[in-house]
Amino acid sequence: MNGEVFTIYFAGVDLGSTMTKIVILDEGERAVAAVVKHTGAEHRRLAGQVMQEALKNAGLTSDDIQYIVATGYGRINVPFADRHFTELTCHARGVSKLFPNVRLAIDIGGQDSKVLQIRHGKLLDFVMNDKCAAGTGRFLEILAGMLGLKVEDLGPLSLTAKNKAVLASPCTVFIQQEVALHLSNGIAIEEIVAGLHDIIAGKVAKMAKRLKVEPDVVFTGGVARNIGVVKALEENLGCKILVPEEPLLSGASGAALIGKEIVLKAMASGEILPRIERRFEDAKFFT
Amino acid sequence: MTTSEKPKVKTINRLKSMYALRAEVDKMYAAGEDATNTGKPVAWVMLGQWAEPILTAMDVISIYPENYGSVCAAAGKAAPFLEASDAEGFPSHVCGYARNCFGYSAKMKELGGAIPPSAPMGGMPAPTLLVASSEICDARFKWFQALGRYFNAPLGTIESPYPGLKESIEPGTDERSVQFLIAQLREFVTFLEQLLGRKMNWDKLDEVARGLAGINRLRWEINRLRKAHPGPMHSKDLWSSITAAFFRGSESKAILDGFQKMLEEVKQRVASGESALNVPEKFRLSFDGLPPWHSLDIFDKLAARGWNFVIESNYRPYTPVNIDLSKFGDPLERYVRERFQSTNNTLEGEYTPEEAAAVRDEITRTGNSTILQIKHVRDCRCDGMVIHILLSCRSASLNLCAMQQKAVDLLKVPALVLEGDMVNASLFDPADVLKKAEAFEETMAYYKQMRKEAGIPW
Amino acid sequence: MVKQALQGMAKVSAINQDRAQRVLELQQAGKKIFGYLCIYPILEMLTAFDIVPFRLFGDINEPVTKANNFLPTVVCPFLRSYLDLGLKGRYSFLDGLITSHICDVGAGVPAIWNYAIKTPYTYHIDTPHTMRESAQAYHRKLMDSLQASLEEYTGRKLEPAKLVDAIKKHNQQRSLVRALYDLKKPDPPLISGAETILMIKAVQSLPVDEGNNLLCEVIAEVKARKNGPVKKAGRLMIWGSILDNSALVEMIESLDANVVMDDTCVGSRPYFDDVKITKNPLDGLAGHYLNHIKCPRTFISDYFAQQKDHITDLKRRYGYLGDYARDWHVNGVVMEALKYCDTHGYEVPSVKDYFTEIGLPSIYLEHDYTLGMMSPLKTRVQGFLEIIA
Repeated sequence: MNGEVFTIYFAGVDLGSTMTKIVILDEGERAVAAVVKHTGAEHRRLAGQVMQEALKNAGLTSDDIQYIVATGYGRINVPFADRHFTELTCHARGVSKLFPNVRLAIDIGGQDSKVLQIRHGKLLDFVMNDKCAAGTGRFLEILAGMLGLKVEDLGPLSLTAKNKAVLASPCTVFIQQEVALHLSNGIAIEEIVAGLHDIIAGKVAKMAKRLKVEPDVVFTGGVARNIGVVKALEENLGCKILVPEEPLLSGASGAALIGKEIVLKAMASGEILPRIERRFEDAKFFT
Repeated sequence: MTTSEKPKVKTINRLKSMYALRAEVDKMYAAGEDATNTGKPVAWVMLGQWAEPILTAMDVISIYPENYGSVCAAAGKAAPFLEASDAEGFPSHVCGYARNCFGYSAKMKELGGAIPPSAPMGGMPAPTLLVASSEICDARFKWFQALGRYFNAPLGTIESPYPGLKESIEPGTDERSVQFLIAQLREFVTFLEQLLGRKMNWDKLDEVARGLAGINRLRWEINRLRKAHPGPMHSKDLWSSITAAFFRGSESKAILDGFQKMLEEVKQRVASGESALNVPEKFRLSFDGLPPWHSLDIFDKLAARGWNFVIESNYRPYTPVNIDLSKFGDPLERYVRERFQSTNNTLEGEYTPEEAAAVRDEITRTGNSTILQIKHVRDCRCDGMVIHILLSCRSASLNLCAMQQKAVDLLKVPALVLEGDMVNASLFDPADVLKKAEAFEETMAYYKQMRKEAGIPW
Repeated sequence: MVKQALQGMAKVSAINQDRAQRVLELQQAGKKIFGYLCIYPILEMLTAFDIVPFRLFGDINEPVTKANNFLPTVVCPFLRSYLDLGLKGRYSFLDGLITSHICDVGAGVPAIWNYAIKTPYTYHIDTPHTMRESAQAYHRKLMDSLQASLEEYTGRKLEPAKLVDAIKKHNQQRSLVRALYDLKKPDPPLISGAETILMIKAVQSLPVDEGNNLLCEVIAEVKARKNGPVKKAGRLMIWGSILDNSALVEMIESLDANVVMDDTCVGSRPYFDDVKITKNPLDGLAGHYLNHIKCPRTFISDYFAQQKDHITDLKRRYGYLGDYARDWHVNGVVMEALKYCDTHGYEVPSVKDYFTEIGLPSIYLEHDYTLGMMSPLKTRVQGFLEIIA
C-alpha cells in the first residue's frame, strides 16, 4: 500500500447519550474531520447526518472510508458501521494515542462515568457508574439549571470560591434541597458550585480507587472541560490530571484507530473484510 | 442537613446508673491495647452469647469488630474504612460493620499489621484468631472467612441451631439443639486448647457463666419494669449500657454491680412515677431494628415532642432458665443449658399458661404466631413503633415489615418506617425523620381511636 | 393435547411457558405436590413418599407489589419476587412447602409466607452452615424429623427400599445433567447457556422420572441438531447467585461469547455429585446435602486449622472451579450476584482472588432482578470480552 498514490480513511462514530462525535482519520492517523453534535431522540438518523457532515468537511465520499467503527451508548444504532466496540475499549485506545503513558483514564459523560485502567495502550480493567446521576454531567446540568447558570460557566465561577459549601447528600434529587437551604442561608453561589464539583469528583475518585491510581491520569468527556471539576479531581486523587485539547473526541478517534488496526491486520493475513453498503440517509424502519 | 443544634434543655432523663456501664466499653479497647503490649492472644469475636466467656476462661482478649463499627460510626471515622472496603471489591450493600472491618483490615495490612492512625479509641489490635458465629446473622461466617485476605489468623466457628417456628415447639427439638450446641462448643474448646497450648479453665468458665446469667437476669428484671407509665427508662439508656453486658460481661463483678444499681434506680423511678423524659410523656414507642448509632441525638429531639421510647425489640435479655444445674456434671452442658433459648422457654417464661397454649396452637396450625414478635408492643402499651430498615443489615430488617403488619392487624398500633444504616451516616436523614414524626403523631392519634373501637385497652 | 406430543427442547420451552401445567394434571390424578425453595430440601424423601417436588422461583417479568407489605426492599430480590408470587396466588395449588435455612432471609421468608399465605403442610429444615462433625450429626437428626413429619402427613411409613429407589432415580437425574453439561465442552458448545437454564427449570418442574426422560430426549436432540450455538471468542463460566431466568445469560450470549459452564443453582450446583447409597439411606442423604452442594451458604474451610494462608484456603474452597475452567476450556468468568445477597457478596473478592491466582480473567456484575439492568450490564460484559479477546 502506497500512501502517496491514494489514501484510505477510517471513521469512528461515538454515539453518546448526550453528544454524537465522529472523527475521520487518514492512514497516517491524522484527523481530517471531527464533528460533535447533540444526540437527538432518533439516533440512527442523526448518526447518518453527522457522518455526511464529516465527509463533507473532509471533502470525501462514503467510498473513501475503508472502515467504520461505532462506539458509545448508541453504538448498535449506527447502521452503517462495520463493527462496534464498547466506549471502554475505544476510549482506552483514543486516550493512549494522545498520552502514551496513560495508566488511568477517567471519562465523565452526560449519563455515565467510567474509569479505565490502561497499560501500554490496552484496556486492563474498568469501573462504570451508570445507575446514579450524581457523578455524571447530568448532575451538573440539573444543578446549573437550578442555580440559573450555564454549565460552561460553572468551572471558572468555582475557581473564585474561597471555601467549598459542605453538601452531604449523595443523591442528585436530595441535593437540590440542600442547595436551596444553602442559598437561603446566604452561602455564596461560587462556594456551592465548588461544593458540587467536589461531590462529583469524590464520586469518581471513589470509583478510581477501586482500580490503581497512578500517573499519567487523563480526564476526558464533556465534564473534563470544567476546570473546577479538574481541580477537585486533582485534590481527591492527590495527583496531576491531564486533559486533552478535545476531551470529547477520544472515544471516536479510538474507534477510528481500532478500525485501522482491523484493516491492517486483515491485509497482513490476506483476509478480505466484508464490505457493507454505506447508506447515510434516514433509516426507514428499525430492524 | 443541619441537625447539630441541641435542644436547649435535656429532654431525656438519663439513668445515672447508665454512665458507669457506658464507660466500661472503653475498657475493652484499653484491654486490646494492653494485649498488644503484653502479647496476650487477641480474638476478633462476634456478638453472640457463646464464644466470649470461653475465650475469657482461656485468658484470651475478645475484641468485637461489630462494636468497633459503631464506635467508628459514632466518632464520624467510618467513611474512609467504608470506602476502602468498596475499593477492595466488597459490594456496598453488605453489613456496614463488616465493611468498616474490611476497610480497617485492608489499611492494617497495608501498614504491615500496624493500627491505622485514623482509628478511634486506639483501634483494634491485629487478631491472633478469629471466632465467627451464626447467631443473630448467619452471613457473618462469610465475613470472617473473607478476612482471610488480610490475616492468616486461624478461624473458629460457632454455629447456632435455628429451627423453624413450627419445628421449634415439636418434641425433641430443644434437646437436639442443646446437644448440637454442646458438641459445637466442645470442638471450639479443643481448637483453643491446641492453638494456645493450654487447658481450658472450667472453673473460670463456670464462674463467668454464672456472672453472665446474673447480668441477664438483672437486665430481664429491668425490662419488665419498663411497662410502667410513664416509661422509666429510655431506649438510649439501654443502648448505652448493653455494650457493657455484651462485650464486657465476662468481667462480671463491675458489670453485675452496675446493672444491680440500674435495677434499683428503675425500681425507684417506677415507685415514684418518675419518667424517662423531662417533658410530659405524650407517646409511648417501641424502637424496632438496630439504632442509628451515628445520629442518636435524634431521640433527644423526638423526646422534646413527648416521644418516649419505652422498649425495643433488639438487644433484649433472654428469658432466664429455671433449672437445677447441679445435676449436670459436664461444665459445657451446664453452660449451654443455663443460657439456651427457645420458643418453649419464651412461652413458659413470658406468657400465661393459657396464652402459651393458644400461641402453640396457632403455630402448629399455621406455622406462625401473630403475637410472638410484637408482644413487647402490647406489654408496654405502645402508641407506635419506629421501624428502622437498614440498607446493610438483612437480619435486623427482614422481619420488620411483617411485624408492622402484625401490629396493625392484632394491636392496631401503627409504625413509622425509617430507612438508614447503622454505620453509614449518609443514608440517614434526621431532618426528614423529624418531618415524618410530626405527621406520624396524627397517625398515632387515629389508631388510638381504632384501638378504642376494637376494645384494645390503651 | 398438543403439549403432550411435544418432545425435547420444544417441550422444555412449553414447560417454561407454564411450569405448573404438568403438576396440576398430576394433582388432578391424586398426587400431592410440594413446592421447595432453593436446593437444600431433600427431594429423594419426597419422591419416596410419592410426593412430586416442584421448585419455586420468582418471576422477573412480574413487578413486586404485594410483597412490599411484608418484606423491605433491602432483602434478596429473588425472594421478594417469590413471596410476591405467593401472595398473588401463583403457588396456591401447593399441598406442601419444604424450605431450609439457606440464609437468614431464605429462612425468614417462609415464616412470613406462613403468616401471610399459608400452605396446608410446611416443613423447614434447619440445614447447618458448617460441615463439622457436630453439624453433620445435627443434619442427620433433621433427616429423622423430616421423615417422621412426612410419615405423619401421609399416614404411611417410609420403606427404606423406596427411599433407595428414589435416590437412584435422582442420581440418574444428576448423571443425565452431567451428560448434558458434557455437551458444552466442545467448541462451539452443543447447547447454549440460556437453553441450559430453561432445561434445568423444566426438569425442576416435573416428577423425577419425567425429568429424566426429558433429559434423555434433549441430549439426543442436541447431539443431532445442526442449528446449535455458533463458535464465539468467549467461552465463559458464570459463578454466582440464583439465575432463575435466562435473561442475563441471553444478554451475554447475544455478544461474542458462549456460556459453557456455570456454578449456579439453576445450573450445575445440585447435580454435580451423586448421593452415596449407604446402609441407612438417610446417612448418605444427610451427608450429600450438607457436603456436596457448593453454594457459599455452607462454610467450606479447614475448620480450626492452626495454620492457614489465604491461597491454600482459596484452593480448598474453589478448586472445583479451576477444574470446571480446565475441563470446559473456559477463557473468562462472569461473577454475578443479586443485590443484597450477602452470601455471595462477601465471597466476591475471594473468588476473584482465586481466578486471578489461576490466571483466569473475571468480571463482577451486580444485578437487581429486573430486565432494565441488562442494558448497562451489556456494555460491561462487552468491554470485558474486548479485554480478554
